[in-house]
Amino acid sequence: MKLERTDRAPLWAFLTPALVLMLVFFVIPVLYVAVVSVLKWNGISAPEFRAVRNYVLLFKDKAFVRSVLNNVIWALVAGFIQVPLAMVMAIILSRKPRGWKFFRTVYFFPQVISGIALAMLWRAIYNAETGLLNGILRSVGAGHLAKDWLGTIETAFPAVLIYWIFYVGYYMVIMMADITTIDESYYEAATIDGATDFQQAIHITIPLIRRTSLLTCITLASVMGLRQFEQVYMLTNGQPANTTSTIVLYMYKKLQDSNYGMASASAVILIIVGVVFIVCIRAIFEGRGETVKVRKGRAGR
Amino acid sequence: MSETRVRPALRGRELILAVLRWILIVFFALYTLFPLVWLFISSLKTNFEFLAGSPFALPAVPQWQNYINALTVAGLGRMLLNSVIVGLSATVFNVVVASMGAYCISRFRFRGRERIFTLFTAGILVPLNALMVPYFVIINKLGLYNTYGGMILLYCAIGIPMSTFLIRGLMDSIPMELEEAAYIDGCGFFGRFFHIILPLSRTGIVTAATFEFLTCWNEFVFANLIVSSEKLRTIQVGIRYFTNQFSTDYVSMYAAIMISIIPSIIGYILFQEQIIAGMTSGAVKG
Repeated sequence: MKLERTDRAPLWAFLTPALVLMLVFFVIPVLYVAVVSVLKWNGISAPEFRAVRNYVLLFKDKAFVRSVLNNVIWALVAGFIQVPLAMVMAIILSRKPRGWKFFRTVYFFPQVISGIALAMLWRAIYNAETGLLNGILRSVGAGHLAKDWLGTIETAFPAVLIYWIFYVGYYMVIMMADITTIDESYYEAATIDGATDFQQAIHITIPLIRRTSLLTCITLASVMGLRQFEQVYMLTNGQPANTTSTIVLYMYKKLQDSNYGMASASAVILIIVGVVFIVCIRAIFEGRGETVKVRKGRAGR
Repeated sequence: MSETRVRPALRGRELILAVLRWILIVFFALYTLFPLVWLFISSLKTNFEFLAGSPFALPAVPQWQNYINALTVAGLGRMLLNSVIVGLSATVFNVVVASMGAYCISRFRFRGRERIFTLFTAGILVPLNALMVPYFVIINKLGLYNTYGGMILLYCAIGIPMSTFLIRGLMDSIPMELEEAAYIDGCGFFGRFFHIILPLSRTGIVTAATFEFLTCWNEFVFANLIVSSEKLRTIQVGIRYFTNQFSTDYVSMYAAIMISIIPSIIGYILFQEQIIAGMTSGAVKG
């Protein structure tokens, strides 16, 4: 609609609250971490300019390097193991097997439960004496495998990482929504030609969602992997020996120590790693494979 | 549609695929449900039953007392109330501000619109956890540390990009002709907003509100950061402290975790369509 002169004042009046919030809670904070990351500052005394010293100190700190590494592993596992699992389930459920609505609802549960409650649940499961996992192992006669999963250096990080992989509901639902827009006639034609469900998934479904929802999900999952905090905070608080730390947990601890400069520098690193991940994933998906020529049903109508 | 297709009897590879398919479907369902069921059953046991018995055994007598313990001794009732107060207030402010913003971006062409639009979209992608330090400082500077107001303001603000996105999506689909007709009839800026656009974007607003409330309800990081007073703790922050308080009283701790989970699950079952729409449409287009 063309904006009438008389509408200009009410328009800006309507926009201002949202704009102010965006400015105060998005624009300024992003600039803020960038600026504070080059300062030595405890929040009270006068800040002192440090140039890149904070960054140098970060990368000299084994705990931080380990945190970055953990986040990268987390992002890769989420993007390239969790999402493919979700894709398999999306393909299966989008053929609408018996009870698919029920299963979709169930798979989505972990997404609506708070991260902190889930982490507490898994802490209970991994508990050395009373946990469900050791209980199952003992009851099937494999009691010798029972251990303090979160307290042992070898198992702590895998334990923190693995339980989340099989919660595929979120990515599954995103891909299911995409799959249902694929024109049914492709499948009909393929069925007439004698293609099995498996062949149809490989040659029709996956190529058609590859650049849309699959790409989105891999990007999302990796980015989520980089932001992990509640899980590790609640399950291990980074222990044992910082083997389960993440960038955000490291940042949180620096903030607790009132080391604003180092905390902000790790925030900047987090944002940079995130951008690098997004760019790389895009590049992998854009660069490889022929352009999909077939169009989806939705697009043509 | 697989169910309308006439299938020949399954043979060989197809049979294996069908079996595999159901193994996967059931595995993922059990993986999600079984721990929750275990937690629920354990929360109804006595500590003795829980420690001595098999993890699969049912309690002799369901100990609802554990739930009463969690609610009263640990003050969980108060925390639930805090979560409701903060969540509802933040949601109301959030959708009001977001609908107003979405109306301007969706229905008008003006200078700076593109830039504002980009700003809102970029907001969805910002890793909020990275902004812990500035949020802590800003809330302190505003004198809102340890207040409901601080949590409400922060929650309202961080949900703005998402809510604006969801509401704008619906507003974009309202035909311009409707608004133009009203304009010719002398309906002004506010009249069109309240009488035409707002009622027609109801579903988008409900989706945004549901999503925002769920986010507030489950939020932990910032609630933990900007509130230290026990009286103001939300349920998510509260249950974290149970680990200290109930370190040996496992069953009450499990009851407490259940109490924090149950509202989310009930809410999800009631508002399933909105929640799924909110969480996925933002992801796909954002």
